[in-house]
Amino acid sequence: MKEQGMKKGFRSWLDERSGLSTIFRFMSEKTVPQHRHSIWYYTGSAILLFFAIQVITGFMLVFYYNPTLEGANQSVARIMTEVPLGWIIRSVHSWCSSFMIALVFIHLLSIWITKAYRKPRELTWMSGVFLLFVSLAFGFTGYLLPWDDLSLSATKVGTDIPRSIPGVGVWVTKLLRGGEDVTGDTLTRFFGFHVSILPVFLLAILAVHVYLIQKQGMSTPLAEEKKGEKMKELPFWPNFVYREMVVWLILTGILFSVAIFFPPSLHKAADLMAPAPEGIRPEWYFLFLFQMLKIFPAKILFINGDTLVVLLMLLGIVAFFFLPLIDNRPEERKGKFITVIAFLFIVYAAAMTVWSLL
Amino acid sequence: MRIKHSLFTRRQFLNGLLGGWLGALAVSLLYPVFKFVFPPTREPDQVTLPFSDFKDMKPNTVENFPWGSKPGLIKKNDDGSYTAFVGVCTHLDCNVTYLPEQRKFFCACHDGWYDQDGIHIGGPPPRPLRRLNLSIEGEDLVIKREGVE
Ligand code: FES
Repeated sequence: MKEQGMKKGFRSWLDERSGLSTIFRFMSEKTVPQHRHSIWYYTGSAILLFFAIQVITGFMLVFYYNPTLEGANQSVARIMTEVPLGWIIRSVHSWCSSFMIALVFIHLLSIWITKAYRKPRELTWMSGVFLLFVSLAFGFTGYLLPWDDLSLSATKVGTDIPRSIPGVGVWVTKLLRGGEDVTGDTLTRFFGFHVSILPVFLLAILAVHVYLIQKQGMSTPLAEEKKGEKMKELPFWPNFVYREMVVWLILTGILFSVAIFFPPSLHKAADLMAPAPEGIRPEWYFLFLFQMLKIFPAKILFINGDTLVVLLMLLGIVAFFFLPLIDNRPEERKGKFITVIAFLFIVYAAAMTVWSLL
Repeated sequence: MRIKHSLFTRRQFLNGLLGGWLGALAVSLLYPVFKFVFPPTREPDQVTLPFSDFKDMKPNTVENFPWGSKPGLIKKNDDGSYTAFVGVCTHLDCNVTYLPEQRKFFCACHDGWYDQDGIHIGGPPPRPLRRLNLSIEGEDLVIKREGVE
């Protein structure tokens, strides 16, 4: 009895100072609509789960990793061979990045196709596109850190791509590399991006993203909305959260199984003077771009092939970012056409990826 | 308030002044940041190597040397002369390798090809390999950036 009183006392003491009960009340009143496409609602929190795993395994790896030209490859080798359970931690970190980015893609595509970005959720989409790019930047910078010959070549190519943007491109390349060329400085810089700059950006944008979602509630697909009937709803707490937990548990199980049976390899340390090895390849989510760079000829009319690829890419990124504003009549012909583009894009990216693997 | 014949009001004038100050302050803070973030470039003007290391190369072979932080390539041609290249692909910066049997330079990143004179002949590279001036001065092999005297 007395204990209960103390608990209550503490709660009201805390609430008087923090106002936390407003948030709890909000959470207890929040509902999640139930319909045929509800499954996509689970992708968001699953991304958060994977991000949390990345943060924790990242903290652990940083205890042993050494971001220098001489030490990087060796320190990863040490993590893999000497540090107790180090190989599992690295494997989980490496696999989890793939899982997370795959889910980010699925999350965005599902929103594109169900048009969940339509008014008033344009800013939620835009913050989400930022998060996608920050996630890709995490993947790109992380790929270099083991400092083996594959990752070196991938980084040389990746950081040289912005160079063909007229005007600012050269500076972007220099900023990324810390000089004209990829050197030990690049490695140290990428480490800095990976563990200090990108996390701050990600958390800041994530806060905006989650705030907007809470403010606006879950979007429902157009088709369901048109039916006009009152939709079935599930209380967020505890019903929906419990279901999410089931999903998390399954995903964690899959992640750890894959990580244990297929740990990533570590090639020999990169040599800045050695020729690029055969079969260089970026992470899978950059393969379609990689293939495009490969098949574009040196010159098209009078501009360089790679400049054209970069300009196309930039155009694509801008259009993608402003998609909710472009797709402003979701129910009409234009809206349907934009949905078709989403499917075409999936087919195109998949085809290019498969081609690059042949 | 606006004085007769003046083009703007007092408010506009003060806002402009304040904005200008803030802008100047921002630039003066950003400039050092900008300077700090971009280290000076390190490409050398000239590299001197002992000629004895390269005298016994067979024709149609290539040796590496460090050209700053990039690989440099010295190729002995069939007539016994030497040519120096920067061994970096003109497409997206990967290091190239020389394949003597095919008499071609090859870039593994996106299948780029150059002939034995470094001219781009296949794949995405848009330009020939960059050449360096090479001269033999007594015991030394002197390699200079093009245009450096
Ligand atoms: S970097 Fe050499 S072909 Fe692309």
